[in-house]
Amino acid sequence: MITPGDRLQGTLDLLILRVLRQESTHGWGIAQQIQQISRDVLQVNQGSLYPALRRLEERGWITAAWGTSDNNRRARYYKLTAAGRKRLTDETASWQEFVLAVSRVLHTA
Amino acid sequence: MLTPGRLFRRLRALLTTNQLDTELDDELRFHIEMEVAQRIRLGMDERSARASALRDFGGVSRHRDNARDARGVRPLEDFLQDVRIAARAMTRQRTHTAVAVLTLAIGIGATTALGAAVYRVLIAPYPYAHADRIVTVWQTDTRAPDRRVEVSPANFLDWKERSRSFDLLAAAEPFGMDWVGPEGPESFETALVTDDFFPVQGLRPLIGRAFLADDFRDAATPVVAMTETLWRTRFGADSALVGRTLILDSIPRVVVGVMPRDAMQPYGAELWAPKIFRPDERRARSGGYWTVAGRLAPGVTIDQAERDIAAIAAQLALEFPATNQSTGATVVTLRESIAGGARTPLLVLLGAVSFVLLIACVNVSNLQLAESLRRRRELAIRTAIGAGRSRLVRQLLTESLLLSAVGCAAGLGIAYAGIAAIRAFAPTGLWQLQRFSLDGTALLIASALAVVSALAIGIMPVAASARIPLAESLVAGARSGASAARRRLSRILVVSELALALVLLVGAGLMLRTLSLLGRMDRGFTAEGVLVTTVQAWGYYPTSAHRAEYARQATERLASVPGVAAAGMTSALPLAWPIGLERARVTIEGQSPVPGDDAPTMRVAAATPAYFETLRIPIEAGRGFQATDAAGSVPVALVNRAFVRRYFADRNPIGARVTFGFMSAPLAREIVGVVGDVRHEGLHADPAPGVFVPHAQAPTGAMHLVVRSAAGAPALLQRRVRAELTALNGAMPLSDQTTMEALVGNSLRERRFQLGLFGAFSATALLLAAIGIYGVMNRATQERRHEIGVRMAVGAHAGDVRWMVLRNGGVLAVSGIVAGSGIAMLLSRFMAGMLFGVTPIDPLTYAGAAGVLLATAVLAVLIPAWRASRVDPVRALRDE
Repeated sequence: MITPGDRLQGTLDLLILRVLRQESTHGWGIAQQIQQISRDVLQVNQGSLYPALRRLEERGWITAAWGTSDNNRRARYYKLTAAGRKRLTDETASWQEFVLAVSRVLHTA
Repeated sequence: MLTPGRLFRRLRALLTTNQLDTELDDELRFHIEMEVAQRIRLGMDERSARASALRDFGGVSRHRDNARDARGVRPLEDFLQDVRIAARAMTRQRTHTAVAVLTLAIGIGATTALGAAVYRVLIAPYPYAHADRIVTVWQTDTRAPDRRVEVSPANFLDWKERSRSFDLLAAAEPFGMDWVGPEGPESFETALVTDDFFPVQGLRPLIGRAFLADDFRDAATPVVAMTETLWRTRFGADSALVGRTLILDSIPRVVVGVMPRDAMQPYGAELWAPKIFRPDERRARSGGYWTVAGRLAPGVTIDQAERDIAAIAAQLALEFPATNQSTGATVVTLRESIAGGARTPLLVLLGAVSFVLLIACVNVSNLQLAESLRRRRELAIRTAIGAGRSRLVRQLLTESLLLSAVGCAAGLGIAYAGIAAIRAFAPTGLWQLQRFSLDGTALLIASALAVVSALAIGIMPVAASARIPLAESLVAGARSGASAARRRLSRILVVSELALALVLLVGAGLMLRTLSLLGRMDRGFTAEGVLVTTVQAWGYYPTSAHRAEYARQATERLASVPGVAAAGMTSALPLAWPIGLERARVTIEGQSPVPGDDAPTMRVAAATPAYFETLRIPIEAGRGFQATDAAGSVPVALVNRAFVRRYFADRNPIGARVTFGFMSAPLAREIVGVVGDVRHEGLHADPAPGVFVPHAQAPTGAMHLVVRSAAGAPALLQRRVRAELTALNGAMPLSDQTTMEALVGNSLRERRFQLGLFGAFSATALLLAAIGIYGVMNRATQERRHEIGVRMAVGAHAGDVRWMVLRNGGVLAVSGIVAGSGIAMLLSRFMAGMLFGVTPIDPLTYAGAAGVLLATAVLAVLIPAWRASRVDPVRALRDE
């Protein structure tokens, strides 16, 4: 069973993995991307973002390395791993299933 | 699932926590920089861009906290996490943790031991029925009403009959009963008690019964009751003993019961027997030898009882002026009579040991303060990733609690040892301490102290952390702000440590001066080389002539033992417990009149001629006793120097006569000589007037046989003396042998123990204070490396730098000394009762204590001073 808490946390994970599939970037970049793509609907808390990044890193879905940012600063860049790619696929499917399920309930009730 | 890769990453995270923290720190800083840059792009100026970015960033934690709060199991989860984090911090800082734990263990352990002792002796309720109504009643001398003395039988009987304040009133008389056991004859301390004695306590016998009214009739079958201790140690806890007959003091006596351990044991009694009055004893009013305890009637206060009994004493003074003219009476609580003398030393020592705990807490608090500032960035990061301020405070308190819990656990070991020491050294009168152990009360005290200590050591880091602007410390690095305030705080803490240590040093110094003065005190006799053997010859030598003959023979035989220089006998030995009647009312002829003191009560002792030579008590005028001072010849007496000073104004008393009853009806005796003063009742007690009579003319059965070893080694004579006395009479038990030096040692034992405790406390305090000042100066010089580098770069010498650091340390030490002296002057008067020959504000002691503290502080500061002088200016400047 999925509890709302898990689902919300899972959602942030999913969004991060999704952003990283497109390009490797740093934490701030990830937050910006999510915000832009969702047209400012989704705002990522830094307080959730970095723990989530640590969590994903620990599970081996992403890796991190120090690099230099566009404006020539030291930044930590995150990259999707093969396991992360597979996870993203699974999670996307499961998310869509979940959305479908919720919308079915909303439409019939 | 724990895949190998995941396991590796987790291990790496564990092993490189610090590095990861730093990386996270850098990463977050980058994030904020990017935020700032974006806000500037959107048109904000840099200042407000930074401020708003930090504000938004700081706001993060709250959202996250709220989300997690919704999960419900939060408090426990948080607590466990706090404990984990604290444990990790503790293991990371091993030296810091070890010092803190050891410090707390000493403080908590020692305070627990003394606190438990204070509870036992001064607070724990006595195990008697209506214990709050049990009191003791004493006679007083209305000329010196503070001194409580024992009660005479006739006065007791009149009190009991006339007083309305007591439900029950009981008396106990010291006695000894000899018993021939499988290991030869021995003597049991006995209390002869009146019928109310056991009812006052309301205790049930362990087996058998207490005494019945019939047991107190003159012709009753002799019975005894036994203490549980004697029953267990001497009679193998045999329940068949009750009802059996023992031959005690040559008389068959039935053991009727065994009383539990808590039963009152006046005079250290191992047996109790009903008091059967001797002929005329009911009318004996002059000499007191009873201890009286009673139970107040319901609703009667101790003051009412005191007024009641004092009024009766006043009536008796009118009715019997010859004996009672100056006899008063007073009522004292049971606790006061048992533990009154121990109150001051116990409370003073408890105060001293709580100072040690206080210093320990200050020290650990200072350590924690430094540690929490070192961990500022860790705390800032924790805030950044979602911990609320209250959560951080709890985190810091959890760390203090864990630290003090570990300290408390280790402290229990110290408390155990301390309790064993207190039990071993407790004065015998404090029977509550005989079975003193690490019990529930001690554990409770230790836990309470642990919690209080945790709060005390946690408050500083918490207060300091509240002042750290967390987000800023992340951005700006570790070396900014708030540290001046922190330095001031930690200097104040160190000064207070030094001040408290000084107070303890002053206390220990005062005790040391007291003890050394007592040790050097002229005792009036020479203790070295004297062996003492005590006998009670009454039952074996029933007539006066027999006893006189025994004393003569025994001392003669002992004098002829090889290695014995002299042998004598006395009925009252300096510094020893009384073994028989030793006071009488003495009428003096030809004295200078002393108003209101015409027939004073004073010490009277019987002695053989060689007694004075054996103890080397000088005959200062006239002659000593001679063999010709026998039963039939002129009754004679010796008086001491204090007697002559008081009653003859230092004029020659020889030829004058003193009249008193001692082993006879009142009898006039001629003073034939003056002997030197002896400190009889204790090395602290000024010699009081006293009289000696020849044993042949007053043949008491209570005898201390003393021999002086020619070689100065009394212990070697022990066997020979014993053999000689057994040859003279094999049936009579000999008491344990002792030496005069041991008696001197015993008289100082309690003070030595108190000094030992005080010394240990102040040494600990000194060490902790030294660690404290070392730590503060060390940190200060580290923080000032840059400044010191600049100074050296512009020409300061290593010596200048060393002097600067030493001077700073010296300022701390002197502030501590000044503050501590003030506190000591306020507090030391509470220990006036424990001192002798030295005032509580003795300048020499204060100067000595200050010197020791200053020297220790300077020693502790030498290392940081040396380190500072070794600063390499080039490196110090480059690092900045």
